[in-house]
Amino acid sequence: MLRIGIDVGGTHTDAVLVRGTELLAATKTLTTADVISGVMDALERVLADHPGSEAQVTAVMLGTTQFTNAVVERRHLVPVGAIRLAAPSGKGLDPKIGWPDDVAAALGDHAWVLRGGYLYDGRPLADIDDAEVDRLIAELAASDLQCVAITSAFSPMNAEPEVTVADRISAALPDMRIVRSHDLGRLGILERENAALLNASLLPFAERVVGSFTEAVRGRGLNCRFFVSQNDGTLMNASFAQSFPALTFASGPTNSLRGAGLLSGLENAIVVDIGGTTSDIGVLRDGFPRESTAITEIGGVRTNFRMPDLLTLGLGGGSLVSDDGSTVGPQSLGHRLVEDGLAFGGSTLTATDIVVAAGTADIGDRRLVERLSPELIDRARATITEMLDTAIDRMRPDEDPMPVVLVGGGAVLVDRDLRSASRVVRPEHAGVANAIGAAQAQIGGEAEQLVSYRNVERSKAIEMVTASAAASAIAAGADATSIRTADVEEIAMSYMEGAVNRVRVKVVGDIVQDGPGDQ
Amino acid sequence: MKLTVDHLEDLARGAVFLATGGGGDPYVAMLTARAALTEFGPVDLIPASALSDDATVVTVGNVGAPSAGLELLMSIDEPQRAIQAYEEHIATRVDALVSFEIGGGNSLIPLIAGAALGLPVVDGDGMGRALPEAQMMTYSIAGVSATPAVVLDYEGYAVVLDADNPLDYEHQVRQVSAERGGMVTAVEHPMTGRQLKESIVPATVSFSIELGRVLRESRGRTTQALEPLRALFASSIFGHFEHLYSGKVVDHATSIVGGYDVGHVTIESFDTSQPNLTLDVKNEFLVARIGTEVVASVPDLITVVDDETTEPISAERLRYGQRVSVLGTGCPPMLRTGAALAVVEPRAFGFDFDFVPIEQLHPRQA
Repeated sequence: MLRIGIDVGGTHTDAVLVRGTELLAATKTLTTADVISGVMDALERVLADHPGSEAQVTAVMLGTTQFTNAVVERRHLVPVGAIRLAAPSGKGLDPKIGWPDDVAAALGDHAWVLRGGYLYDGRPLADIDDAEVDRLIAELAASDLQCVAITSAFSPMNAEPEVTVADRISAALPDMRIVRSHDLGRLGILERENAALLNASLLPFAERVVGSFTEAVRGRGLNCRFFVSQNDGTLMNASFAQSFPALTFASGPTNSLRGAGLLSGLENAIVVDIGGTTSDIGVLRDGFPRESTAITEIGGVRTNFRMPDLLTLGLGGGSLVSDDGSTVGPQSLGHRLVEDGLAFGGSTLTATDIVVAAGTADIGDRRLVERLSPELIDRARATITEMLDTAIDRMRPDEDPMPVVLVGGGAVLVDRDLRSASRVVRPEHAGVANAIGAAQAQIGGEAEQLVSYRNVERSKAIEMVTASAAASAIAAGADATSIRTADVEEIAMSYMEGAVNRVRVKVVGDIVQDGPGDQ
Repeated sequence: MKLTVDHLEDLARGAVFLATGGGGDPYVAMLTARAALTEFGPVDLIPASALSDDATVVTVGNVGAPSAGLELLMSIDEPQRAIQAYEEHIATRVDALVSFEIGGGNSLIPLIAGAALGLPVVDGDGMGRALPEAQMMTYSIAGVSATPAVVLDYEGYAVVLDADNPLDYEHQVRQVSAERGGMVTAVEHPMTGRQLKESIVPATVSFSIELGRVLRESRGRTTQALEPLRALFASSIFGHFEHLYSGKVVDHATSIVGGYDVGHVTIESFDTSQPNLTLDVKNEFLVARIGTEVVASVPDLITVVDDETTEPISAERLRYGQRVSVLGTGCPPMLRTGAALAVVEPRAFGFDFDFVPIEQLHPRQA
């Protein structure tokens, strides 16, 4: 029962081989231009450490930034037909409004705003006009479009208009790739429509990427299931990933936080990832990152995907240290640390030089930092500790100190206890935390509804939404008996009578054995 | 001044600050305003004093639940059609438009109609912040009737409302809004130039643009934005500015206060030596207390900003673990008169204490 986790980042491609939570092999290679040869190389290396293990591998999990990068770099995007079912509302606010010009241009100028959709109270906004849909289909047939995205008002509450129009297009144009916004998002029609449009635009690329990964996995003699990690730290199977590449947006930081938790064996902890220039501090609650409430923009396009809540501090291995040690960072040598830092023969005093001089880190040449005074070293070490303590205090959910997990190349900067931490954990193999996070992920499901607590008792309402979240997790391949609630969010709707709350529930479960993870 | 597309983002950012946690996300209103000003050109933003005493002025804005507006988008021609329907009803041309409230998306609605119709928009509003109900507008407080009013829905259907008191009007317009998708455009409070000059909270549109600019330029840790904000407020009709607290959100609960569902947000200080701060929330942030002591209350402004970016946060977006600063400012003097306090003081929201101005709660050391 082995699993392989692969993480494709902008610079490195990492792979790990695990049995349960035990790490058997790990490797770090450079990401290649074609991506896939780097992945095959990484796969080869972890399997080479355990000859003959192929038959025991039950699943391969992939975390990738390729789809985020495609949007950010405006590459691999195809034109999309934007279909909105919400007229007569929203006149003058056509699909792609507020987008940067270049990404809007990549999707082309193809928009239809038709009658349809629902209102907040469950009544139709407008009935679908069959003649309008006939015209739409005729125009799509005459176009070169391969992909469309359909968005109707209040579809997270009632998806029927999206389903009806998708089915009609599909019947008339069987080759058309169709994205329905309710499959992707939450309330907020513009943000959900944006997510659906970006997703549709990535479909041909997603088919190529997932297809070539699947081939690479099969080609290496792995006859197992294949999953891709999502932005919320859960998995989707390969065929699902081909249809929903947008769900991978922002999965990188999520995998990193989850991996740190898994490596340390902690479900509730503060994770501090110290790099060359900055430290990212995040919070794990019951194994999942606490999410930020800020609006997430992908390549300048507003979406409603949620990112982990990270506090970024200007402190890293290359941070510049003032002459008296009272300030460290935010200026940093970054990757020039290994040329310009004192311990590397340069002339710039950095945070790394301080811990080398203190004798707690063995990097560079210690003799080059011998002249630093003990007072300076003490003062700078205290400054570093104080910066981290203050930042950790800000992130800590309540007054009780929590364990702090230190990862990243700059973790050596912390060479003493942290006041803010109940204890400091430095897991081994922290360099491949992302791949480990991917390898251990579970299947999730989510549902959201507007409920009046005057009409439906609160506990019943949560039960109802949880049941629908569980149903979607099971459909995605979760084992029904393992499902647990990961998050319940209730938001009282302002300026609305009747104690109306927006209730959103997220559940997670283990991967069902022999479930729909197969390609 | 000519209000152009380039002013809109600052105006919207300032309007979220002045919305004191309510008012709804102005994003959609901003996109609509941007589309309107791009198509029709800039809008004349005029001081109230530029109007003749017998000019005809009306207010225009959205009424409803911002969460309904998350899915039911307004149309770019909705404010303009509402004004046209109004002119038809009263058989008189309107000379200028003015905003209900500067807090939130309603700061932008008059600009959309003004651009399309070539009408000037008066620099000012009827609240100097966001407040939930029509009788809380300074126009109503000064005795201007809210009606006749015209309400336009997303399908473009208009209804005319008449009421003999502001509470009755408020009830009617809410009902129409709830029936028609949860969000409508209302044209109300017809008044003369003279009545407007006597009741408007002046210059709040240009102030909101300035505030938005200061917030943009001092984006970053809130401690660094305090001085520029203090200076800006000190030279405005809001006067006093106070940094009340910094900490993280540790609880969010709801209880019934004076017959309303009121939310309570608890914020714990970063240094934990201070007692917690609690915010009472009913659409907007109404009362801030440190321990049991009131440190700011409605009608003065209480605003919560992200402590790392100084971006204002609406009450709906506040979550457990968020790191925030709580800021308080005075309110415009016209909200502190006897007649105004009768409808906007803490007691009007069901609380059992008298209003004390923020500058008396936090006297400046000489």
